Amino acid sequence: MSRACAIVGGGLAGFVAYATLRKGGLEPADVAVFGTDPDPAAAWRVRAAAIRQRHMRSESDGHCAPTSFPGLAVRAALRRRSVVPLAESVCDRFHPTVEEFLEHVEELRTKARWDESFSRARIGRVRAAEGGFELDDQGTFPHVLLAPGHPGLAFPEELADDSRVVHAYEPHDYAEEVEVVGAGMTAATEWLNALAAGASVVSVRRREPERRPLNLPRELFTRRGLAAYHRTSPAERAAFLRRYSTPSYPPGRHWDEPLERARREGRFRLASGVNGARQIICATGFKRGLRDDPLLRRLVAEHGLETADEWIVLTPDSTVPALTDTMRTLALAGAPAQWAYPAADTLVGAKYAARRFLQKVQVWRTR
Amino acid sequence: MAYTLRGRLESRLAVVLAPLLAACVVALALKAWWPVELAGLMLGVGLAFDLTLYHRLLPYQPGWAALPLGLLELAAVMGLGRLLHVGAPLAAGLVFYAGAWLLAQVLGHAVFPMVRLSYGEDGGELGRAGAGVAAAAVVVLAAAGGIAWETQPPVVRLAAGVHQGPLVLDHSQRLVGEPGAIVRGGILVTADDVTVQDVTVVGGENGIGVEHAERVLLERVHVVDAVLDGINVRRSQVTIRDCSVGSLESPYGQGIDISFSADLAPSVVEGCLLTGGQEGIFADSVHAMLKENRVRDTTLRGITVTEMAMASVTDNDVQDALGIGIYCGDYSMCDIHDNSIAGVRPDPESSDSMRQGYAIVSHYWAHVDAEGNEVADSPRSLGVFADARATSE
Repeated sequence: MSRACAIVGGGLAGFVAYATLRKGGLEPADVAVFGTDPDPAAAWRVRAAAIRQRHMRSESDGHCAPTSFPGLAVRAALRRRSVVPLAESVCDRFHPTVEEFLEHVEELRTKARWDESFSRARIGRVRAAEGGFELDDQGTFPHVLLAPGHPGLAFPEELADDSRVVHAYEPHDYAEEVEVVGAGMTAATEWLNALAAGASVVSVRRREPERRPLNLPRELFTRRGLAAYHRTSPAERAAFLRRYSTPSYPPGRHWDEPLERARREGRFRLASGVNGARQIICATGFKRGLRDDPLLRRLVAEHGLETADEWIVLTPDSTVPALTDTMRTLALAGAPAQWAYPAADTLVGAKYAARRFLQKVQVWRTR
Repeated sequence: MAYTLRGRLESRLAVVLAPLLAACVVALALKAWWPVELAGLMLGVGLAFDLTLYHRLLPYQPGWAALPLGLLELAAVMGLGRLLHVGAPLAAGLVFYAGAWLLAQVLGHAVFPMVRLSYGEDGGELGRAGAGVAAAAVVVLAAAGGIAWETQPPVVRLAAGVHQGPLVLDHSQRLVGEPGAIVRGGILVTADDVTVQDVTVVGGENGIGVEHAERVLLERVHVVDAVLDGINVRRSQVTIRDCSVGSLESPYGQGIDISFSADLAPSVVEGCLLTGGQEGIFADSVHAMLKENRVRDTTLRGITVTEMAMASVTDNDVQDALGIGIYCGDYSMCDIHDNSIAGVRPDPESSDSMRQGYAIVSHYWAHVDAEGNEVADSPRSLGVFADARATSE
C-alpha cells in the first residue's frame, strides 16, 4: 500500500479535497486522484460556457483553496488594484467572474501539484477490504473520498425524445422563440441570454422560483443552521432536502429589469407547459441520487449501506458510518454528500467534506 | 458569518486577548488602571451584546455589520466608562478601541480562517483552542483585576464627627468621609494617587492644599471658613468634582487656585459651587478644563485663566462678579464656550478700563475663542485689551 488517500473524481469537489489534503501536509505521493480529465474544471468549464455564464453565483469564498482567506475578492482587489472588490465582499455583493475563477483553479492546480497525483481512470467499484478500500484494480487505500460528480444531465421525462430539446449545459444557440424549462439560476441566465440574442422567451415552470443570494439560506452553511439539520430524523431530512431543491436565483435589478422590459415588449411570458416553440432549453439541472449513479448504487448494494430516499445516510462529518472507523475512512463530497451538508454541491460544501476528511486522515497518521 | 453562540463568545474572547495584554502593558507603563478597565469594559459590553442581542437578532452577520456594531459597542463602552468614572482620556480611549476593533476584524476575517480551516463553517468556534483562548482571556483579565485591586491605595474611613486637622496625606490613599465627617484645620495632600471624598473642611490656612502631587481626586468636598484659598493646588495635577467653597475669611482668598502645572496633565474642575473671594477659580500657568461650575459674588473676577495657561471654560454659570466675569490674560489660550454670565458690575473703585463690567476679557496677548456664551445684566460682553485677540463664530 503506497498511498494513504484516494480521491475518486477529478472534478472541482475532488480538486478541493486534494488542495485541502496538501494544506494538511500530505505530499502528492500520498494521494491518488482518479478522474477522466486532468483539468479539474473541465466539466464545469463546458457548462459555464454553454450558459454564457460571466459571474459566479458564489461569493469571495467560492474558490477551491483550502483556507477561506484570502478569497477571490482579495485576489481581485490585488489584481485590479482597487478596494471595490473588498467593499463588495463585505456587503456580500462580490461575485467573481468566471474568468477569475478559472484562473484561480489553474494556478492552484500548479501550486498543489495536482497532476502528479492524477491518474486517468474511471473507478467503477469501491469495495471494503482489509486495511481500507479497493478501487477497481488501482490498489487499496485506507482513506477514500468519493466525489463522483453529477451522474448526468436531467431532462423532463415527457421531453426525453423531443428533437427540439437541448439542455442548457450543452452548447447551443437561440432560436427566434425559445421555451426555457426550469426556474433556477441556470434558467434565469438562459432567459437573459435568449432575450439578449433577440429571441422571445417562454418560461416554462412548475414552481415559482425563490429569490435568495445563495442556493440555501446562509445559516445552513455553518454549524448554526447545521446543528438543527443534523438533529433531524431521516424522514425529516429527506423532506428538508426536497424542499430546498426548489429553484432559486438571486434578487437584483440586473435580473429583474431586462425581464420586465421584455415582458412589456411581449417577448417574455410564463407558461405551465411547453407549447410548440422551435427550441426547448431544459435548464433542469442534473440527475440526482443513487438511482443514476452506478458507482454509488453498487457501493450501497454490495455493502448494505443505509439509505434514505435517494441519499446514502452519512454522519455529520460526511463519512459513511458503516465503513469508517479509526483505521479507514470512506467519505462523500459533492451532491451525494447533501445528507451531511445540504450545500454539499457548492464549493463551500466541497470544503466542508474535504476538511473533515483531512481531520480523519490526520488522526490516523498520528496514531 | 452565521455565528453559533459558542462561536461568538470564543471569537470575542480570542480577539480581545491581545488588546487585554496590551492594556496590561500600557497600564504598567502609565501607572494607571484605565487601560485595563477600558479593555475589561470592552469585553464585558461585547459579551453582553453577544448573549442578549446579537445571537438572537443576527442569525447571519454580513461583514459590513462589523462597523455599525462596533460603533454601537463603542457608544456603550464610552457611556459606561463615563458612568463608572473610568479615567481614560478620550483620544487615547478611542485609539485603543479602534486598534482593538481593527485587530478583531483582521483576526476574524483573515487569521482565524487561515489557522483553523473550518472556522467559517463552525460558526466562529475555535475547537479545543477556543476553550484555551477563552480561559487565557479570563485569566489575564482576572489577574490584571486582581493586581489592580491589590495595588489600589488603602481606603481610610473618616467617621462622622469633627476631626482635628490639619491632616497631611503623604502617601497614596483614599480618604472617604462618612456622612457628617468634618476636618477642622485643613487637609494637605503631598502624595500621588490620593482621593478625598465626602469630607467637609472647616478652617485651615487653605481648606485643602495639594503640593507636588499627581492624579489627585477631590470629590464632593466642601470647604468653609478657610483663611486664604478654599482649595490651593501647586505643581500638581488634580480633578476636583462636585465641590463647594464658601465663607472665605480673607478678602484676598480664592475659591480654587491651581497654579504652575503647565508641564503636567490637565487638571479638571467640574460641578463646583464657589461663593465669594477674589476669584472663584484661578488657573495660572496650567492646562485646565473648567466646566459646569457655579461662581458667585467674587470681588476681582469670576474665573481667571492667566500666565500662558491653556484652558477650556465651558458651561459655567458666573453671577454677580465685580469688574470681570471670565478673564483670559498674559499669553493664555482660552476656549470660552457656552457659559452663562450675569450681573457683572463695573468696579467703581478701579480706574482700570478692563474692570468696567465686562463679561469676558482677553488681555495682553491672550487669545480667546468665545462661542455660545449668554451674557445678561452686564454692561459689556467682550473686551479685548493690550494686543490680545478674541475670535468667535
